[in-house]
Formats: sequence, C-alpha cells, structure tokens
Amino acid sequence: MTQQRSSPGPVAASPPREATTVILAQQGEEAALDELARSCRQQAYVFALQLTGNPDDALDVAQDAMVRFFRSLGRFDASRPVRPWLLRIVRNLVRDRARRWRVRRTESLEPAEGVLRFEPRDPRPNPETLSTRRELQALVWKCVQDLSPRFREVLILRDYQDLTYAEIAQTLKIPRGTVMSRLHRARRLLREVVHRRPNPTGEVGNG
Amino acid sequence: MADRCPTAFDERLISGYLDGELTQAAEQKVRLHLEDCAHCRALLEDLRAIREAAMSTEFSKPDDAQWDERPRGSISFVARGAGWILAAVWAVVVGMYALWEFWTAPASPAERLLVVGGLTALALLFISVLLDRIRTARTDPYREVEK
Repeated sequence: MTQQRSSPGPVAASPPREATTVILAQQGEEAALDELARSCRQQAYVFALQLTGNPDDALDVAQDAMVRFFRSLGRFDASRPVRPWLLRIVRNLVRDRARRWRVRRTESLEPAEGVLRFEPRDPRPNPETLSTRRELQALVWKCVQDLSPRFREVLILRDYQDLTYAEIAQTLKIPRGTVMSRLHRARRLLREVVHRRPNPTGEVGNG
Repeated sequence: MADRCPTAFDERLISGYLDGELTQAAEQKVRLHLEDCAHCRALLEDLRAIREAAMSTEFSKPDDAQWDERPRGSISFVARGAGWILAAVWAVVVGMYALWEFWTAPASPAERLLVVGGLTALALLFISVLLDRIRTARTDPYREVEK
C-alpha cells in the first residue's frame, strides 16, 4: 500500500527493557517473571474488559490468557513486542467464549456498571471541563459497545490500546491496508451511533 | 450535510492522517483536500474528538488479591505434552489396526466404497486445513507460541 508509511516495518521490534525482562523471565528469574505477570495481566484484563464489557468475564479471560502466556513464554522470540501476542491471546479467548456469553447476555443489553474509572489525570482540573469530558467518554464507550465485534476490536486496539497499524495487523492477523479500511469504517459507524444518541456535551453528536 | 465526501475523495485516508500512519505524499494530499472540503474537515474533527475521548478513558482494574497466583513450574505442561503425544500414538495405532481389520474382513464392494469414500473425504478436509494453517503460519511473527 503506497499511501501508508513504509516505516516502521511490518513486524515491530520489542522495546529493549521489555526484551531484557522477557529473556530473564525465560531463564526463570523470579523477579522478572513477577514483573511480567504484573504488567501483562493488567493489560490483558483491560483489553478483555473492553471487548466483553463485563468485569467478571474479563477477569476470567485474563486469568486464562496468563496461563497460555506463561505456557509458551519459553518459546517466545524476545526480539518481538509482547503486547500484540498477549492481546491476540485475549482476543482469541474472547472469540471462543462469545457464543456462550451471547446466550447469557440476551437477559441484559446494557453494559455493566462501574467499568470506567473517572480519575482526573490533570491534578487541578476545571470541574466543567472534567464533567464534559466524562460525559463524552461515557457516551463514546456506550456507543463502542453497540458496534459489531470485528469493528469493535479494531477500534479498541487503535483508540483505546493505542497500537500502531502494524501492531494491529499482527494482533488480528490481517493486512495493514485492511486495518486502515476497517478502522475507518468502524469510526464512521461509531460517529453515526454517537450522533443518534442524546448527547449533553454538544462536542460530537449534534450533527 | 451529505454522508459522503462530495468529491469522492478516499475517506480512509482521513483515518490514516488522524493516526499519523500515512506517507508524506499521502499526508500532503489529505492536507490539500481538507483546505477545500468542509465535509472532510467536519469528519476529521468528529473523529478526533471521539478518539481523544477514547484515549483518555480509564478502566477499572482488579486488586492484586483477585488474581490467581502466577503459573509456576513446568511439570503440568510436560505432563500435558506427554499426554498429547501418547494419545496421538494411540490414535494412529488403533486407526491402523481398524483399517487392517476392515481390509482383511469380508465386506461387500458397496460397504468398502462407503468406508473408503468417507475416509478419503476426511483426509482431504484434514489436508486442506493443514495446508491453510501452514500457509498462514509462515507469515505469522508469533508462529512459535500459543495464541
């Protein structure tokens, strides 16, 4: 695809600190294993939560993802970034269980409460700005839940997980060009859903 | 306002532009287009607002106490691997024995045709899935690990 950046290459490299931790963990260093477990389980949980919208399911998936992760950590090439691999494990586990959950979810169509955490990053935020931002965040999050899984996952990987197109391509095993097409389609759909929902902020959705 | 860009501009580039994933030439093309197209400017602004809201969203996380202990030791993994190998060897031996019994036992041509046809179909399905897996695994940077 000529329209996209040719660099970084299709396979991103692992950050040096992460690579060192992975190598030490592969050698059985307890401190490195614990550090890897702490950082990876939180990432796995948040991504699972974003995909499922349910904290209990997310914890269940993240626990299983960590078992799979440590089961084949010894064979992992430490020069590659861990995150696309970890997120792919989570995504595959969520897909495997989606049918079981779908049956249960017919009882409740609303996403679970208490999923979002509203803590200001700015130490002295303007209350009005904060309230507007929270409302928009909650509105966008609710609308993301309405997207179909194939659009939701690509949008979450880009806009919530902040992965590059190359990393998304690795995670979803799709070409980089498809990432851009699918992401744009997802964003357009999200924009339409946001426009349809009542929005008190006036920032997006009054179209 | 129309739903699509009136100039039939490739709108996917707006997302690429927003994410900084375009080549310099494509970026310049989008910049020039945005100067003239109010529709795409509005689209970009909406997508930017949505993306900023998404990126600044924080999610609740479980306490450390809620997590299972990190998987330790490899005895269970070794046992599972050995179990799979033994099960595979057993399936091959039993399969060969069943084939031999079928081949030497008296059976009508129609019965033989049914069994051979069914087995051939299964074998073809297995080979096609296997080839597909091999083809995708070749391009997968994470092929050596479980996913």
